[in-house]
Amino acid sequence: MQELTLKVLNKAGLHARPAKELVKFSRGIKSEVFVKFNGKSANIKSMMGVMGLGAKKDADVTLTVDGPDEAEVVKALTDMFAQGFGFTDELE
Amino acid sequence: MSETIQGQIALAGISIGRIMKVGQSLDGYMAEYSSGSADEEMEKLNNAIDVLSSEIDDSVEAMRNAGQEEQADIMEAHSFLLMDPMFADLAADKTKEMSNAPAAVLAAADEAAELLAGMDDEYMRERAQDVKDIGKRLARCILGVKAPEIGDDPVVLCGHEVEPSAVANIPDGKIAGMIMGQGSTTCHAVIIAKSRDIVTVVGIGDSTESIPDQARVLLDGNKGLIIIDPSPEELAAYEEKIAEEKAAKLRYEALRDLPAETTDGIEIQLAANIGLPEDAEAAVKYGNRGVGLFRSEFLFMGRKEMPSEEEQFEQYKRAIQACQGELCVIRTMDIGGDKPLAYLNIPKEDNPFLGYRAVRISLERPELFLPQLKAVLRAGVFGKAAIMVPMVTCVDEAKAVRSMVDRARAELDAENKEYSRAVQLGIMVETPAAAVMAPVLAKYVDFFSIGTNDLVQYTLAVDRINPQVSKLYDHFNPAVLQLIQRTIKSGADNGKWVGMCGEMASDPYAAVILMAMGISELSMSAPSIPKVKEKIRAVSIKEAEKHLAQVMQMETGAEIREYLRAAL
Repeated sequence: MQELTLKVLNKAGLHARPAKELVKFSRGIKSEVFVKFNGKSANIKSMMGVMGLGAKKDADVTLTVDGPDEAEVVKALTDMFAQGFGFTDELE
Repeated sequence: MSETIQGQIALAGISIGRIMKVGQSLDGYMAEYSSGSADEEMEKLNNAIDVLSSEIDDSVEAMRNAGQEEQADIMEAHSFLLMDPMFADLAADKTKEMSNAPAAVLAAADEAAELLAGMDDEYMRERAQDVKDIGKRLARCILGVKAPEIGDDPVVLCGHEVEPSAVANIPDGKIAGMIMGQGSTTCHAVIIAKSRDIVTVVGIGDSTESIPDQARVLLDGNKGLIIIDPSPEELAAYEEKIAEEKAAKLRYEALRDLPAETTDGIEIQLAANIGLPEDAEAAVKYGNRGVGLFRSEFLFMGRKEMPSEEEQFEQYKRAIQACQGELCVIRTMDIGGDKPLAYLNIPKEDNPFLGYRAVRISLERPELFLPQLKAVLRAGVFGKAAIMVPMVTCVDEAKAVRSMVDRARAELDAENKEYSRAVQLGIMVETPAAAVMAPVLAKYVDFFSIGTNDLVQYTLAVDRINPQVSKLYDHFNPAVLQLIQRTIKSGADNGKWVGMCGEMASDPYAAVILMAMGISELSMSAPSIPKVKEKIRAVSIKEAEKHLAQVMQMETGAEIREYLRAAL
């Protein structure tokens, strides 16, 4: 299992669009990924769970990745967060 | 003997079909349901989830193939919610606890809906109604409630609320209309109906219960009428109308891409009035050129707090982009004591139409006004935008609005945010005071848009909702016409353009004389655009000017109306 901390860069935080991207991403990987923030934890397969964390812009969230494709998943997630989940208009 | 129910128009048109009741109570089925062990109930739950998810995936694919993107997006969100582990866990926990799968999914859906409704995100709040829809579908699946069969006749869906999935799942050609007890024209079912051109009447309250299942109904979406068991005479009369409509529809379709110009080549811009950005997307099929009135207050209604600058920015951006390079005029909040919002704390008043409303609130509450102005200025980068301020009655207000816009720009500069410097600033002319002072007001604005609904009401001192006086309400009243002509001339004298966004703009006869007065833009509900365009394309500006000269000599609205009907 790997653990990493990433910063939310999207202006509106981990809202509907990024959460939807996370769900789509989860469908293509073998690992189980959880996001932890503010004492709460959510599987990235759950849009409701991820959004319920209430992670705003600049929040540091902790991700745990557990599974055979950990290394690739960690790298992909790092990129996704850094690129605002592909929504460049949401980056400052 | 036929029976008629009056509702509100959500989507115009006429159609005939058989009532199919939807959203009926599952109580009867629930009472008869004999539940098994917790394990058996879990299995039923999981089966139902599998069945439903493949049903939804199939229908999303079919809708995408048919190019029904809006519908597909809504149904795809259903698939996301259904497959959400949080919902699945909630449903599983409840099933174990209650040992009754259908009751458990309904309870789980209610809980999930509450969770979603409390989220700090518009998209998720909207999903609350979707998750309830899913809960009901799962429960019906477990209870073995079959979807009602659709016979040979097209159906008219009828319920207090119609679930989006109910509309989405009936193919074109099999659905004739929709009737809803609740009055919202912005719920998902209505959005789907609009994207598919399904005649819709809403807001009939409990009367949905008195409409029998399978009854034959005639739906007159143009008047908001529901005629149950129409007589042969009524049917014959309407069939004629339907045929006329069909013919008109063909003529209008042919007009879509043609300009609204007179026979001698003078063009006028016909724009759409919208309440939500998606309306701008839907307007395209009527051949609009831009949006002349985006009623931004819809973004403020039906919620617990005001929408943030960011949320507004996203909505304005979407509308501006849908205008495809044509102007998108966004009206700032037009709210008052008649449509109060809890979070604004506006006190009730005896006379809201003469009270604390619109610009009068905006200027006193910069915390409301500035985010809205900033959102429009920023969204302006994505096309051509204008800010339009309602209910400006004097020069002081026009000046104060100007300086508020300057302040919004300064704040955006300080925040280092990108915005457009080309966003125009205009005011609505909707009071006699503004029309009389138009020559002066014109110096402080980029354009005027005449709001005739209020202008007629204030000029003639008539509340048109009040049936005892509503016959006095007439946009052809010479007093009104003189104020309109003065406003248009004042704009022209100062090099400013003048448009109109009230109901008068959708009257083809009025359009002709307004053109002769020199108006540049008419903005109306999108379906009215073709009939106005047709009339304009049939006259020359010379003829229109001749009619105008005649009309301005006349003494009563009735006389003017009669003259125009005969002449055009």
